[in-house]
Parts: sequence; structure tokens; C-alpha cells
Amino acid sequence: MKAYAEIAVTTNYSFLRGASHPWEFAGMAAKLRLAAIGIADRNTLAGIVRAYAAVQVIKENRPRLLVGARLVFVDGTPDILAYPTDRTAYGRLCRLLSAGKLRAPKGECHLALYDLLKWQEGLLLVVMAPRPEQKERVDDSPRNFWNKNLAREDEEVGELPEEIHANAPQVSSEETQSLLEKLLGAAPGRLWLGVSMPHKCDDRRRLREWQRVARAAAVPLLATNDVLYHSPERRELQDVVTCIREHVTLNEAGRLLEANAEQHLKSPDDMAELFNETPDAIAETIRFAGRISFSLDQLKYNYPDEPIPKGKTAQEHLEEITWQGAASRYGGVIPDKLRATLEKELALIARMDIAPYFLTVHDIVSYARSQNILCQGRGSAANSAVCYVLGITAVDPMQIDLLFERFVSEERKEPPDIDVDFEHERREEVIQHIYKRYGHHNAALTATVICYRPRSAIRETGKVFGLTEDVTANLASGVWGSWGSELKEGQVRQGRLDPFNRVIKRAVEAANLLITFPRHLSQHVGGFVLTRDRLDEIVPVGPATMEDRHFIEWDKDDIDTLRMMKVDVLALGMLTCIRKAFDLIRIHKGESWDLATVKREDPRVYDMLQKADAIGVFQVESRAQMSMLPRLQPREFYDLVIEVAIVRPGPIQGGMVHPYLQRRKEHRESKGTKKFEYSSPLLDPQAKDELIPVLDKTMGVPLFQEQAMKLAIVAAKFTPDEANGLRRAMATFHHVGTINNFKEKFVGRMVDRGYEREFAERCFKQIEGFGSYGFPESHAASFAHLVYISAWIKKFHPDAFACALLNSQPMGFYAPAEIVRDAREHEVEVRHVDVNFSDWDNTLEPYEGGLALRLGFRQVSGFREDWAKTLLAARANGYRAVSEVARRVRLPKRAFIILAEADSFQSISMDRREILWAVRRIADDDALPLFAAQYVEEQSEEEIAPLPLMPLSEHVLADYQMLRLSLRAHLMFFLRDLFRSEGVWDCAEISGAKDSTPASCAGIVLVRQMPGDSGVVFITLSDEAGIANVVVWPKLVETFRREIMGGRLLLVEGRVQRSPEGVVHLVAECIFDRSHELEHLSEDVTEAPSFRAQAARHRHPRNVRTVPKSRDFH
Amino acid sequence: MVVAKVDNALRLSAVERKATALGLAIGQPLANARATLPALKVVAANEPDDLKLLTRIADWCDRFTPHVAFDGPRGLLLDVTGAAHLFGGEQALLNRIRESLKAQGFAVRGAMAGTAVAARAFARYRDGAVIAPGEEAETIAPLPVAALNLDHITTHAFRRAGLKTVGQVASRKRTEMTARFGAGMVAILDQALGHGTQPLSPRLPRALYWKEQNFAEPIATEEVIRATLKSLAAALASVLEKRGEGARRLEAVFFRADGALRRIAIEMGVPTREPAVIERLFREKLETLADPLDPGFGFDLIRLSASRVERAQGEVADFDVSINEKADISFLVDRLATRFGSQRILAFQPNDTHIPEAAWLAVPAQYAQPTKLMWKKIREPGDAPRRPLRLFTRLEPVTLLATASGAQHLRWRKVQHAVAHCEGPERIAMEWWRHETPPPERDYFRVEDGEGRRYWLYRAGVPPQWFLHGIFA
Repeated sequence: MKAYAEIAVTTNYSFLRGASHPWEFAGMAAKLRLAAIGIADRNTLAGIVRAYAAVQVIKENRPRLLVGARLVFVDGTPDILAYPTDRTAYGRLCRLLSAGKLRAPKGECHLALYDLLKWQEGLLLVVMAPRPEQKERVDDSPRNFWNKNLAREDEEVGELPEEIHANAPQVSSEETQSLLEKLLGAAPGRLWLGVSMPHKCDDRRRLREWQRVARAAAVPLLATNDVLYHSPERRELQDVVTCIREHVTLNEAGRLLEANAEQHLKSPDDMAELFNETPDAIAETIRFAGRISFSLDQLKYNYPDEPIPKGKTAQEHLEEITWQGAASRYGGVIPDKLRATLEKELALIARMDIAPYFLTVHDIVSYARSQNILCQGRGSAANSAVCYVLGITAVDPMQIDLLFERFVSEERKEPPDIDVDFEHERREEVIQHIYKRYGHHNAALTATVICYRPRSAIRETGKVFGLTEDVTANLASGVWGSWGSELKEGQVRQGRLDPFNRVIKRAVEAANLLITFPRHLSQHVGGFVLTRDRLDEIVPVGPATMEDRHFIEWDKDDIDTLRMMKVDVLALGMLTCIRKAFDLIRIHKGESWDLATVKREDPRVYDMLQKADAIGVFQVESRAQMSMLPRLQPREFYDLVIEVAIVRPGPIQGGMVHPYLQRRKEHRESKGTKKFEYSSPLLDPQAKDELIPVLDKTMGVPLFQEQAMKLAIVAAKFTPDEANGLRRAMATFHHVGTINNFKEKFVGRMVDRGYEREFAERCFKQIEGFGSYGFPESHAASFAHLVYISAWIKKFHPDAFACALLNSQPMGFYAPAEIVRDAREHEVEVRHVDVNFSDWDNTLEPYEGGLALRLGFRQVSGFREDWAKTLLAARANGYRAVSEVARRVRLPKRAFIILAEADSFQSISMDRREILWAVRRIADDDALPLFAAQYVEEQSEEEIAPLPLMPLSEHVLADYQMLRLSLRAHLMFFLRDLFRSEGVWDCAEISGAKDSTPASCAGIVLVRQMPGDSGVVFITLSDEAGIANVVVWPKLVETFRREIMGGRLLLVEGRVQRSPEGVVHLVAECIFDRSHELEHLSEDVTEAPSFRAQAARHRHPRNVRTVPKSRDFH
Repeated sequence: MVVAKVDNALRLSAVERKATALGLAIGQPLANARATLPALKVVAANEPDDLKLLTRIADWCDRFTPHVAFDGPRGLLLDVTGAAHLFGGEQALLNRIRESLKAQGFAVRGAMAGTAVAARAFARYRDGAVIAPGEEAETIAPLPVAALNLDHITTHAFRRAGLKTVGQVASRKRTEMTARFGAGMVAILDQALGHGTQPLSPRLPRALYWKEQNFAEPIATEEVIRATLKSLAAALASVLEKRGEGARRLEAVFFRADGALRRIAIEMGVPTREPAVIERLFREKLETLADPLDPGFGFDLIRLSASRVERAQGEVADFDVSINEKADISFLVDRLATRFGSQRILAFQPNDTHIPEAAWLAVPAQYAQPTKLMWKKIREPGDAPRRPLRLFTRLEPVTLLATASGAQHLRWRKVQHAVAHCEGPERIAMEWWRHETPPPERDYFRVEDGEGRRYWLYRAGVPPQWFLHGIFA
């Protein structure tokens, strides 16, 4: 057998060019026994880490991975493959690509030949001989060949001169020869001419010609197959991605597509056969690979040394500030237990040499604190005692007994993971600080690889196959939720399309292949990579859409693979809300609180949560969480940790929720005396109690991701390597779907050791569930702290809480109407928007009964913040008449109309209609300013007849249209008589009903939810008496789909289901869409009923939105 | 259900009655409608065709009055002043229009009133009513404000103010309304109440490209018809010339004295405005009509209109012979196509594909466009051609034999040819998306025999079969 190395591989990270994943190439290369495989994507290194990770796990015939890039030029130079020989040359390649990216728009890279000449040192260069079809494609317009005299040494990046841009390379053999000679001068001994055999009739003649050129230039010939896909069947997908890239359909694409399926990885024998006239070109590939000593493991990551004072090591500095922090946290007396924990952790940190990481996070957090920005860390290392005393998190590790070693794996030798959440409105300040402090050369965001998902995949392939937009939209709409790994036949059928229609079938097949293909790189929301050495010598860096933002080409999985350090600087709306609430409490009540000082474990807070009184409370306000609260009966902090973690796909899919709740109930009823049985390996009696240390905190039921991992090691006897692989598969579940490889191993071994199969399978299902939304205990602990804090504020400062919540919108689960209603139910007085009292934000105003919540102009749809400022600036002692407002404040007429529509002149006049009628007289904005004032003056006298009185129902509707809420009444109030006459109950009656009472209930739809793949739909209805939770079983969903999805006001007939804990659901049996009743509210008696149908068709668009839109979660 | 793209989202633009009953409405995003009714059948909106259809209805209405105007995307306004008596009175006329349109399968609403605004309002809310002059105010009063067809903002403002019917609006002072909504709104209100008039802007189907001649005495002879067409063509030409345009499609409409109507259209491959050419094309068309023009009692009106025009260069500077040649060819194509039908005069056009036998298409010569992808030279200077001069429509199976000496022989039509040179393969895979199971890929070879004859062969399938696909010379 011959030896051969494929040097020219284009993966799908050359977006929309290659048609196979890097790991597919790696696997195929091993199968074909290639000596080495060179990944050279177009001006990018984005895919190489994936290839690297894939090659690492190959057991047999592992090919060498050569890291390179295919340099594609804008100046007409033919493509050149560049492979660094060593680490420094790799750094130069990164600099070269960064330079090209920084001068180009996002996602592009503009290179000219002189860039290469500048950075070529140490790079092996393969000039790719132009393939014949490239000549067929170019148009006849004039072109310029690569510009030979434009080398500029002065600047690092620099703009390319306009005249340099040329068409696609169109190079004759003479020109190629002169290019080779020119390059040879710069890179002697590091230059090759790469040729391929495209099966174009005259391949051999062409090869002889290139042989002559190479010989004349004294450059060796190198055989390649210019590979685009790993196996010939991918030609179809290759054609599809070409069409997507060129925005054509397959029928139009013509010769844009390759003529045949030859550009796949070929075996050494096949290649030798193709190049039998020039065997040297084959042998040269091995010599070429032998010249390269660079591999990705040589990328030594180094921590930035920014925060460490001179003359100290990072470890010494960390220890010093840790003990200082501990002393100040505990008022100088460090408890023994904490001291012991800190010592243990510091020793571990020293062994792993990760002290700089903690210092960096501490540095960022200290900055945020100095700016009064709330933040909290979470992640594997965040719940360590060190992080607690450093102020990175406010969760006391003593309190919940989280063990640091459980999260930081010593054998993996990788940096711990700390994410820090900041107030979402102020995160940008933190990011700017990081750039300022570490510099643009050493700090950049990580990338997010945007991959095709079912919807985008079917949309684009549909276009390529010439399906109409309607058909593809139909196919795409069959996909509930945006994640998923496959379009199934059933979904095609659900879209009422024939899954066996040839075109649709092909399109769906292609789409299924395309799912998980990378589409482009985007910046990660907040993952920062910080280094001491220049970052752009480790990985190419490119510009992001935002000014002055840069991001690297690798995403967080790649960073993990290479064990580099990353800090996630994330935004969390709830922190903004909490800070605003703390501010309000300080200003109005003179109490000063922060995340760490709020009183812990106040039973009144838990009492409130047990009653599911949790609207607005972080994480536990969703319907599922609210019905969990009474069952779980949280009593202490760790219960909240469980509460946060239990309503997640992992435990739900693993069927762990009910067993846990059952045990908890028994535990409660036995007053904590009951001992539970733990699953155990029956065939291994010595290890009978092996799961007790793993599962004791959760009464023998695995709930957390860490427990599932531990199960793999303890019960399924995974080796650290295997466990590591499982962890990786879990993290990258979306990308690769390799998790199924572990199923057999996991379940099989547990069963072999005598565990019940059912238990083993549930555990694995849970792991799969974590794959889609992993939620480890350490995250849950950090979140639980915010649950407690927000519940505490809600309990003791409901006024400030509602106000802060409204001012932090959009966030959370509930619309302003529900927040306001909830506040009023907690005896907060809420007051309407008013020109004389409101600010842009919602505010608190003191009155004899305490603090009232004054709605702000931000609640008024269509009103603008700058208008509010203008209005406030001129307010002085208040406005006394509409005409006065118009005279004193320079606002567009539209602003006044909106104010009047929102009824915000109540302190001036009680009648909304008169105000509305009056503001319409205000001069139009386009009136000449000179006359405008005069006009207003002149207008002030007008004798008009009174307008008809506005009925209350219309007031309420108008309130909803302008504010999405009404303080006057609930819409259902006006329909109550009607529904009462039909025997319909209100929500309060439903909540109080006995189990299995037949009942019906009508209300406005607040939320519709279809969690997971269960097919169950949850609907929350609201009326003047409260809210009711409706459950619709899957069988009924199809029958009443139209009502469920389209209705704004639903009448549900069914049966009350009341759990022993008092959680009440209405299980639907029949659903009616009664939305049309809402139209009656706006109609006056003067309008004869016969017009109604007609009039409805011509209604004002605003009228259509008579009711706030429900929030739908799929 | 019809959908159209509005603001980058597919929205329902027309809804059938049954769907309305199920709660669908115009303007609703398709995605929402689909969520409620997954089985929804939709077609894409085609506004140009809708307009065409409305134009045809308007044409048809020409028989009742010459004053027909478009009213929005789906309405027509007819000024029947002085015409109603011809059809048995106003109510009879209205009924006849409504009934005949209904009989043609349209959903119709119609009303008659003294002003256009009032008629429009009644058509929507009082289908079939004829409102006597002076009764508008009283009749319109109970209708909702929307009947005035004012802009959304104004309508909303009235409704919010509690003025929900036209009558309530009318009861307010005019100055009060002028100050708020401008004089235009008051004028519309007045017209709705039957005061004042607003002239219709009659439908001028591209007035500039449209000439007609009335005859006091109906004409019937061929010469007069031809002369009329020529003079109309000349009149049209001067208009087209001013605008630097030429006609691609012309239509002559013959109105017979008894009300029947006949339309004859001709098409040109290049924009034309030369009266002689136009006259000649019409003559050829008239001569070859399968159903000849029947003048009956004679035509009282002939109209010539250009229904498709394009920019055309002036003919003044046409000294370039090749351009004139092109013009000659295109005139020939037009004449032949007029006579034999455009589907029968074909021209070749390149087709972008790798499949050799599909690399060209025969298309009607009048529609052959110079494509941006012209026959491209795939051939290097000094290189042999890659595609044969002659491509066989029917493949000829051949056998390749190797003699004992190792020389290759090609057996074609029972004759053996010794292979002197052979080059290849050029591998071409079939277009997989066109076939259930795509045919095997082909390996093409260029082969020269001892006498210098060159063949284009390919090999395909397992076991490989050989075919002769063409010969080079």
C-alpha cells in the first residue's frame, strides 16, 4: 500500500463550501489509512479544533492532523495553502488571518499577496494550480493579476487599496510560474505546487504541463484531491450548499455546481493510480507532512498577570486576599470549619495552578462592585469558599455544603468554570472595563458557531429545490421549538404535505443532513478569553458587528478542548430588577441592603413561597414552578436549590420528579425519621451502599447533573476518560449527537452489576435531558440565592418590587397587567399615568397610607423617553390645562394624542373624551413655528357641544390598548353577567372547588405553554377574580387546536383537579373560542348589529389588539 | 386563502367566506392562521393579475358608461349620469350590473347614490340600494364612521370621541372638524351627505399609448379598417417616439355597433413604433385569423392600444449595418411568428448545465433573450474542442475491442476503427435532483482513429457500456 497524506481539505467551516464535518473527515482519513490529513479552510481556523478533538479519540490508524488554512486572495492570486511548521509560524498565520479579517466586514477576510509575503516566515506554502472549471466561470470584464509592487511595511492591518481587488483567479501557467518564482525568493524550500485531477478529460496533459512549470520553477509538485467532502454521497449536499451560497435553485445553478462527485477523500491507492505518471507528487505529500512539527497541543495557554502585584506569585496574592476577605466576611473571627475548607481549596488551587483565574474573576467582580453594579458568580468553581470570601458569590458554601472538589476535576487539568451574571442594563460597562484593563490584544469574546437548525435548514434547502415559500414555511412550521435534530416524516405529514413526494423527500433529506452544519460565526454573548500573550497569535481574531468588539474564531467547546481560560460575563435581568428595588428601598425607606446582607432563612419568605405566591420571583414564577412550590414546600435554602433544578428537562425526562416528591412527602410525614432505600447493585453486595454518598442530599433520587456524572463513575464504573467523554458529549449534545454511543455502556454496565434496568435507563434519559439544558447544582445554588432575595423583596417591599419589576421589563414570565394586579392584591396602591406626576420610569410616591406605585410613561405604548424628559423639564409646579401643556411643551402632536389616549390628563380634567377631542386641535407639527404659537393662542376659545359619555367598558379597552393594563376593571368584569347566565365560574371559584368537580371557566389567555415533547398544553386564564390553570391533554390539543392557538378569550369546560397540596388545575374537556365577545365591549348601542360583521373587517389596526397578546412558550 | 408578503411577513390578503366564519381575517399573519388551522390551503397573491382582472371587469363595464374609474384595489366607480335610462332606469341598471357580475362568479356589492363617496359607503353597507338624490344624508346617518372610508387615524379619533355613526359626526360643527382633521375630511363628509361633487378620475388605461377613432357611420370594409389602423398606429407612434419607447404588444379593439367587441393582438420581438410595420403585421394577422373579423353592421369605434412597451433607441443613427441586419432578422421573425404562431419559430439558446445534450434549448425566437451566459469558449487557443460539432440525438452503442497486440479497436455500425489516440475521461455526473434514481455517471473520451476521424464516446454503468455521443468532424 502506498502512503499518502491529503493536504487540501475544505470542511464545512469554510461556510457553505465544504459538505462534511471536520470529524467526518477525521474518521474517514483513519478508515482510508491516510498518513496525515491537512485541514485548510478558507481564510479561517474555525474548524480545526473540532478536527483536533475528533482525531484525539481515534483509536486505530490515527492520522496526523496538519493545521493550516487555505488563503484566498482578493487580488487575483490563486489560492495558497499555508501550513505552519512550528508554534511561532502558527502565530504568524493567526496574525495574517486576523489582519485580513480586521480590515474586512464581519465574516469576510480580505488578503492580498503582500500580506502573505509579510507573514510567510515558517509557513509551508502550497500554490494550488488553478483548476480548469475556474476558467469557465469568470466573466469577460477586465481583471488585474496579483499586484506585484504593493507591499507595505508600515502598518499592521491597513486598508487594501481599491485597485487591488480582482476577479476570481484566472491564471495561466506562465503566470503561475512567475508567481512560484517570486514566492520561492521569499520562502525557499517551503514552496510546493499543488495539483489535482478533476476528471476533466485532459487531466493528464494538464498534469504534464504543471510538471513542466514546477520543474522550471524548481518547486516540487504535490498531489491533492482538493477535497470538499469525506465521501462521494455528499456530492448532493455539496450541490445544495453551493446553491444556498449562490442564491440559486438547483435547476438554475448549472455549471456553478461541480460536474462530478470526485472531490472526496480518496484512498492512497486511488490517489497513486490517479498520479501514476508522477509518483513523486504522491511521495511528496509524506515529505510535506514530515516537515510540520506544529500541533495544537503546543498552544500553551497563559493567564494574564494583570492583577498580581510585583514580587508576588499569583498563588501568594490569592491566599493573601482570600484570608483578608474571610476576615472581613466574618468580622475578624474565621470559623474553624471555614478555615479548614479554605486551606483545602487553596491547596487544590495551588496544585492545579489556577490561582490567576480566580484573581481575574475577582478583579472583574471588584470593578463591578466599585461601580455599584450587582453581580453574582455561578458555575463549577463559583460556590467555593474562596469565591464566597472574595465576594464573587453571595452563597455561603457552609450553608449548603457544596464540595469544591466535586466540581473541579484535578485529573482533567482544566481551568474551572465561573460565569458571572451582571445587571443586564449595565453589563456593557463591565465589558468596556475588561477591554480597557486587558487590552484588545489580550481580551476578546469567544465565538458562537451558528448552526443550521431544523427550521433554517428546511427553509434554505426548500428554496434550493425550488419549493415555494409557502411550502417551506409550512414544513418549517411543523417544527415546534427551534431545537431538534431531525425533521420527521410525521412533521411533514402534519404540514399536510406528502412525505413521499420526490422533491419534498429530497429537500427534507438534505435538510436533515444540513442540520448541525455551521452556518457562520457570531460573537458569544459574554464569554471572554483573556491571555497574557497576544491573543491573535493563538487564534485569528475578527471584528464583531458592534464597534470595537472583537471575537475569536473558536467557540466555548473549542476553548474547553484546548483548555484555555474563559470568563462568562453574562447579563441577567433579575439583577437589574433587584438593584432597582434596593435603590427604591434605600431612597424611600432609608434601608440599605445588598445581596449578602439580606436576612437569611426568614420563615415568612418561605411561607409565602409555599403558597405559590411567586409572581415576579426569579425562576420560580413559571406555571410549572408555581405548581411545584406547594408540593415541595420549601423550608430552607437547599430546598430552593432543588426547586430551581427540578423543573428542568433532565429530571423531568428521567422521571425523577415524582419519586423525589413522594420521598419528600414521606419524609415530611414521618417527621424526618423515615429511612429510604437506595438503588444498589444486587450482584455486588460489597458496594451495596455505594450510592448513598452520591444521592443522600436528594433522598436517593438523582436530580443534579453532577449526580448523574457521579452515577456514571460509581454505578456504571466509567473510567475517568469515559466520564470525560460523556461529559463532553453531554455538553455538545446539539452539535454531534454522540451521546448515544454511551447509552449501551451506561445502562449495560449498571444492569450487569445488578441495578434495575428501569432505574438505569431513567438515569440515562436524565443525562440526555441535561444535554439539552444542563443545570448543575452549583448554578442552581447561585440562582436559588436570587430566588430567595427576590422573594424577600416581594414579601417585605411589594411596592418597590412591583415598581422595579416593571422598570426592568421586558423580563420574566408575566405581562405588566399581571404584575400590577399582583401588586394590588398585596395592597399596593397603583396610580394611573399622569402628566403632572409620572416620570418615564414607574415611581413610588408617598401618601398617607404608605407608598403608592405611580405608573410611568414607559408603560404607554408608543410614547418616547425623550418626550417624557421634555414634559418633565417644563412641568415646574404642574400643568393646569391641556392648552397650557401644549403651549409650554414642544412635543409633536402625536405625543399629545398618545397622552390623551392613555388618559394621562386625569389631574387636569376627568373626561377622557374631551381631552382627546381637544388635543386633536393642537397645531400640526408641520405648521410654521412662527405661526404655531399664535395658532395655539388663537384656538383657545371654542364652544363645543358635549360629547357622548364614554362607557366604562370602552375606558378599559382604551386602557388596555394604550397601557396593556387597566386600573379600572378587568375586561371580564363586563362579560360576567353574560357568562354567569351560562353557568360559568370565575377563577376564584375554580381555585376553591373540590377535586373532580365538573366546572367551566372563561378568561383572557395569559400564557400558553407546550413544554418539551409531551404534547400537553398549559393555558393560564385570567379574569377579574384571579387566574386559573388549564391543562389540555394531547388528544384534545388536536381537536381544539384552532381555539387553543387562536383564542384570546377562551371558555373551558372540564373537571377540577385538586392535589392534596392544594394545587388546582382545570382539566379541559371542551374549549370554546369566545374572543368575539370582546368586540361587544367597544360597540355602542347606536350601531345596529347587522353592520357588525362588516365593520369588524375595517377596524382600526389598534382595535384589533383589544387584549394584550398572550405570551407563548413552546 | 390568498397570502401576500407585507412588511416581510406572509399575511392573509384575501379570505373566503368559510374561513371568515372560522375567525380568519385579512391582515392576519399566515403563521398565526396556520397555527389555528394547519390544513389551510393558500395561494400566493398576484396583484398584477388581480389588477388585470379588475381591468377586464372595468372593460366590460364600458358598455354601460364610458366613465369608469378604479376605486381602490377591488372597487369600480361608474358615472352613469345620463346613461341609466338606456337600461331601464337606475334600479334596473344597478341590478343588471350586479346580477351579471354575480352570474360570472364574482362576489358583488353595489349601490347608487348622488355622489361617489355616498355610493361607496352604501355599496359596502347597503348592498343593492339606489339612494335618490337628496336622501343621502338621512340614509347614511346610521352607518358607522368607517363608511366614510377616511384614513384609520381619523376614523379612530371619531370612534374614540364617541362619534360612532356618520350622523353623529355630521352633527358636529364644521369648524370644529376642520380645526382637527382639515378641510379635506369635511369635504368628504359633505359629499357623503350628498352635497357637492367630486369629478371621477376616469380609468385611463395608459392614456398615452391609446388612440381610438369614432365613426359616425359604422364602417365595414377592409380597406377602411386597415387605413384606420395605420392612422391610429401613426398617432400612437408619435406618442411613443416622444417617450423614446416602442411597443412589444399592440392590441386593436373593434367595437361593433351592436355592442359586441373583438380584440386582436400582435406581438413584436423588438420594440417597434413604425406604422408601416405595425400595419403590415396586423394585415398578416387579420388574413390568417381562424375566426375572421366579422364586421356585421359595421364598427363604430376602433381603438389601438399598446399594452406592453419598452425603451427603444431612435432609428436615426442606425448606420451600423449589423444593427440593421438584426432589425431585419427580428422583423422576419415577427412576420413569420405572426403568420405561423410564435411557438413554431424557434431559436437556440445556451442552457447552463454540465449535461452535454441539455446544453442548449430551442425557444420561441421572439422571446429569445440575449442571456448573460452566452456560448462560452471552453476551449483554449490551440487546444482541441471539448464538445463535438455534431451531437447525436440517439446514442449509438459501440464496442471497444482490444486485439492481441494490445491495440484498441472501436466497432461502430459494424465497422471497426483502429484507435490511434484516446484522451479522457471527462467524468460527468447526472443531475441527481431530476431523477428518482439518477442514471450512472458518464466518462467521456475523445478518440481519434487511424484515418484522423474523431469520435466522442462515453462509458457508463456497471458493467460499463460504451456509446458514441457525437463526432468532431
